[in-house]
Amino acid sequence: MSKTYRKQNKRKSEENWDVVITAKNKLFSLNLKELRDYKDLVKLMIRREFVSVYKQTIFGPLWFVFQPLMSTFLYMFVFGNIAQMGTDNIPQALFYFSGTMLWTFFATTLQKCSDTFINNAGLFGKVYFPRFTMPIAYVANAFFTLLIQFAFMMIFYFYFLARGVTFAVSWWIVLTPVYILQLGLLGMGIGVMISAWTTKYHDLRNLVSFGLSLLMYATPVVYPVSSIPIRWKLLFQLNPVTPVIEMFRYSVFGKGSLDLKMWVYSLVASIVLFFLGLIIFNYNEQTFVDVV
Amino acid sequence: MSTVVQVEHLSKEYRLGVIGNGSLWKDLQSWSAKVRGKPDPWAPIGGDSRIGHREKFWALKDINFKVEQGERLGIIGRNGAGKSTLLKILSQITAPTEGVVKMRGHVASLLEVGTGFHPEFTGRENIYLNGAILGMSKTDIDRNFDEMVAFSEIEPEFIDTPVKRYSSGMYVRLAFAVAAFLNSEILIADEVLAVGDVKFQEKCIGKMKDVSENQGRTVLFVSHNIGAVLQLCQKGILLDHGKLLYHDEMANVANEYSNLIR
Repeated sequence: MSKTYRKQNKRKSEENWDVVITAKNKLFSLNLKELRDYKDLVKLMIRREFVSVYKQTIFGPLWFVFQPLMSTFLYMFVFGNIAQMGTDNIPQALFYFSGTMLWTFFATTLQKCSDTFINNAGLFGKVYFPRFTMPIAYVANAFFTLLIQFAFMMIFYFYFLARGVTFAVSWWIVLTPVYILQLGLLGMGIGVMISAWTTKYHDLRNLVSFGLSLLMYATPVVYPVSSIPIRWKLLFQLNPVTPVIEMFRYSVFGKGSLDLKMWVYSLVASIVLFFLGLIIFNYNEQTFVDVV
Repeated sequence: MSTVVQVEHLSKEYRLGVIGNGSLWKDLQSWSAKVRGKPDPWAPIGGDSRIGHREKFWALKDINFKVEQGERLGIIGRNGAGKSTLLKILSQITAPTEGVVKMRGHVASLLEVGTGFHPEFTGRENIYLNGAILGMSKTDIDRNFDEMVAFSEIEPEFIDTPVKRYSSGMYVRLAFAVAAFLNSEILIADEVLAVGDVKFQEKCIGKMKDVSENQGRTVLFVSHNIGAVLQLCQKGILLDHGKLLYHDEMANVANEYSNLIR
């Protein structure tokens, strides 16, 4: 009988109720066990998000690499050729592609998560399931997209190897999954945190998309950290995305700078923001239907 | 017989008008006015201009009732009586303002048919998606899949076609077929039968009655179709203006309701 209950009675009173619904918004009532009970739903939601991108399209799953590929060409032209900005001697295609790919992963996760309540108002208003299913589906979807793009990047990578470019691959490459996890947590944390506010103030959505496009230029996507003037460097590195992209490039291409302190800072910031976001999300999920 | 649903002093309050002032900037202005002890610049004219004294509205006020296991309870009332609000609270979609609801067993709510259906997905994919949203596991769905398709009366060759190509009748039948095989102890249904033809409605009511009588499931059913409610439910409650007016045998409640709307 005991499958999917939101609020288990903690002290299993003599009455032994399975579900107790009260007025109180609890701060730490996130029920991970419940998410596990809904694991089939989580899987299906991930599939739903992923497949709906390319159903009834001409290029189908190719769309997952088109966007970063086009951005890379554009950046090579604008920043590489016209503006003559450096890339730490990493081949331009690889430099821009790796940056765009990681940035898109972070930005998509953040944006999708921040719209959780608004985009699913119809669904959430009709049926109860753990609301956190949706942010998980969004981040997983962005992750699979990233995997495809990563595989695609490896084609470039071997192409350049074949052309005689050498990469001093660093041992830090083994931490690549950590970099990705950390970006995911960061995007999700900030995203679900904002979702609690976009529910009430719909104009925040515009701020999110605008803010993200600005933040991209405050992140070393189209330029290396080494090109940031020294006096601004600390400011740029406060952006927790910066050390991740720099670490990734350092690990895979062996060029650029290694700044462990900043990376650890970013890791801690990601984890803290993730849990903070979780708490805020959880606090709001019970009454959002009334304010959306 | 044991009580499976117990509702105690349940109330739900909604704020009237817009939530906040509609934008963050205006809310900040209201907040700064509050801090400075000035009147709220965005308060409604003629209203109480102090913050936090906006119009409130009780959609439900002090509702108390119990439902026994295997009982089929009809919830009737005029528009705006609070029926849907009650079901939303019971379904955990929104939290009550006051009071407690205690339930025993797995609750499945059907406030709409085809919740979460994705038009681009095939009938088969949607059965799995919708079933999972309603709380079924993949193995549950696998086991009942053929029966669901049979119940929906959809020709098997259509099951792998995207549901956006379905007729609206097929869509509804498929959606209800998924719900019909929910293995929850408590089923909450709101006006879901308003769609679909009479024959299919009869079939759905028959199915709900069947699971309740043979498997001891509890059903809470809201409808404006008094005929359907009378056919399905033994007990009933009558809501009006957020208050529980009457809780008795369904036939008596239906009489009270016809007096009320006369």
